[in-house]
Amino acid sequence: MLELILQALFSGVLQGGSYALIALGLALVFGTMKVINLAHGELVLLAAYIAYTVESSLGVNPVFAIPLALLIVCAAAVLVYFLVDLIRQDRELNSLLLTYGIAIILTNAIQLIWSADIRSTGSAWFQEPVVIGPLYSMRSELVFFVVSLALMTGLWWWLSRSWYGRAVRAVSSQRDAAKLMGVNPRKTELVSFIVASILASFAGVALFSYGVIQPSYGHVLTVKAFIITVLAGMGSIPGVLVGALLLGVTEALTVTLASSALQELAGMCLFLLVLFVMPNGLFGAAGRRG
Amino acid sequence: MNRLYKKTVGLTLLAGLFLGCGVAAAKEFLVGVEIPLTGSLARVGAGMNEGISVAVDIFNKTNGKHTIKTIVIDDESAPAKAIAAVEKLASQEVVAISGGYGSNNIAPASDAANKLGLPYITSGGVDDSLVARGYKTFFRINNTVGYQKAMVGLIDALKVKSASIVYSTKEATANLAKDVEKELTTKGFKVGMHAFDPAITDFKPIINKIKLQDKPEVILMCGYENDYVGILRAAKVLKPKVKAMIGVWSLATAKMAADFPDLMPWVYGTALLPFPAEFKTADGKLFAETYQKLYNKEPDYLGQFGYVQSLLLFEAIARAADNDTLHKGGVAEELRKTDRETLVGRVQFNDKGDNINFVHRMGQHQNGKIGIVWPSEAANAKPNFPAVPW
Repeated sequence: MLELILQALFSGVLQGGSYALIALGLALVFGTMKVINLAHGELVLLAAYIAYTVESSLGVNPVFAIPLALLIVCAAAVLVYFLVDLIRQDRELNSLLLTYGIAIILTNAIQLIWSADIRSTGSAWFQEPVVIGPLYSMRSELVFFVVSLALMTGLWWWLSRSWYGRAVRAVSSQRDAAKLMGVNPRKTELVSFIVASILASFAGVALFSYGVIQPSYGHVLTVKAFIITVLAGMGSIPGVLVGALLLGVTEALTVTLASSALQELAGMCLFLLVLFVMPNGLFGAAGRRG
Repeated sequence: MNRLYKKTVGLTLLAGLFLGCGVAAAKEFLVGVEIPLTGSLARVGAGMNEGISVAVDIFNKTNGKHTIKTIVIDDESAPAKAIAAVEKLASQEVVAISGGYGSNNIAPASDAANKLGLPYITSGGVDDSLVARGYKTFFRINNTVGYQKAMVGLIDALKVKSASIVYSTKEATANLAKDVEKELTTKGFKVGMHAFDPAITDFKPIINKIKLQDKPEVILMCGYENDYVGILRAAKVLKPKVKAMIGVWSLATAKMAADFPDLMPWVYGTALLPFPAEFKTADGKLFAETYQKLYNKEPDYLGQFGYVQSLLLFEAIARAADNDTLHKGGVAEELRKTDRETLVGRVQFNDKGDNINFVHRMGQHQNGKIGIVWPSEAANAKPNFPAVPW
């Protein structure tokens, strides 16, 4: 039994790392603009399909698709930003409708270009099993878990140390006050959209490297990312990591100790429980320490 | 002048009557196709739609009297859209509907078709509740029993005594898994059941439970393409000591062999034909030739099912038109009289519209090819057992 639980914890932590990578971008945009980008999952998926194209046409490891994915996903994200920026009234609500529409367009565009077939990496190197004592994983899961941690550290550093990062936090806290301090909110919001798309690009390539992708998968990613963002508390990067790991471990333990059919239900129960006890999320403004 | 006028009118009326009869005798019929072309079932819907198009092409070239024109509406893999599609097709005056995929979409769509008096034929839903309704307008080519017989038949042939079933909680897969479990338990097998939510992607915790607790001889998989890839990947990492990996639909296909060459070796799944396909009948050869011409690829099982269901429907429409019962419930009546050898075996419908002869075959991925290994009378290869992809 101990072996089972250890493996479940290990799998849950790795799964949590990938969830965090997917949720980070959504959390960043939500934090700065109060915009829930419902097309975020589709942007992640777009990067995954770019990785598929590069791997299948050039026969190289999908990580080599990252530069191209960055270029295309950033361009798509900038377009999404300019469309959101056109909204003059009730941006929080209207952006939901707009980004939902963009998500549908992106899903259908992906299907038109790449067809509805399922895709996954053929890279043998990524699929090699890694055995650490009684624990098993695929190499791709470990690699992208480390990448996820590195990106989160980098994002945390950028938000707390760089001028633009501080500007993002200032706009997130008080848009008008930030404006008075010489921060251009529109430019800052654009930067946060671009950073979110960089994270989405990595998340997409990671997803293709250890999972299976299909055009209809985007909204599943968005929902998962949204749950983690709310669990974390608005705009909290450590919260995203903790929320994602908590979700991953809860799901894996549910599979091991109960039934895998209850996995999604367990995730939702965790979500409701956290919101019930801590309405601002794990690291939300009211509960944030330090 | 008066006589000439009468003659002219008389001849015109006669010619009109003659021509009119001609039009009535050889007519183009509209058939609705309600199928998922987008959403989660887009891949299977598109595959089936290819088979339907092949059936139209072949029927129009070979019937010699009647022709068929289809109106295709995408149900977006959503039950509400499936109902709307059927209603729209009815408003466009189709005489029957072919298509549908997924029992949860087919149930409301065929319900709507039944209310509108439209015959509805499918091969995309195996849930027993579809036929339990007893609709006189509903017909289907395949059913859970046919898949169950194939899985249990192979397990019997392999002479194993224990199995773990990993199954999606979707209706069709869950029903099949429970039916297989029931039959295997009755035969004295030791069976472990592991349901999974369709949204999960990491199967390692499930496979680890099977490896450490169940320790079965074979793992049975009731799911869809993405599930199989996830299960086989997890199994390849954890390497449970099993003798075979056995799945159902969408697994023993040329596409899976080409897309996932590292995961498929020695995996079993239901298959109508071996790969490379060997069509022995004239009907089969014509189908393969037309499919190749239209889509420039080898036909798959979805195309075959779509083709068979549609061709049977078109033939029933033609017979009903010839008997002048097209708008008097004649299509359903003619479908019920169907007794014909097809690409998926002999088809006969019972009073609930289910195909009483449906039994699937089991194939195995063998060195990039697919050999039919069960039943013995249809087999063109011997099962490589024990053998797993790792």
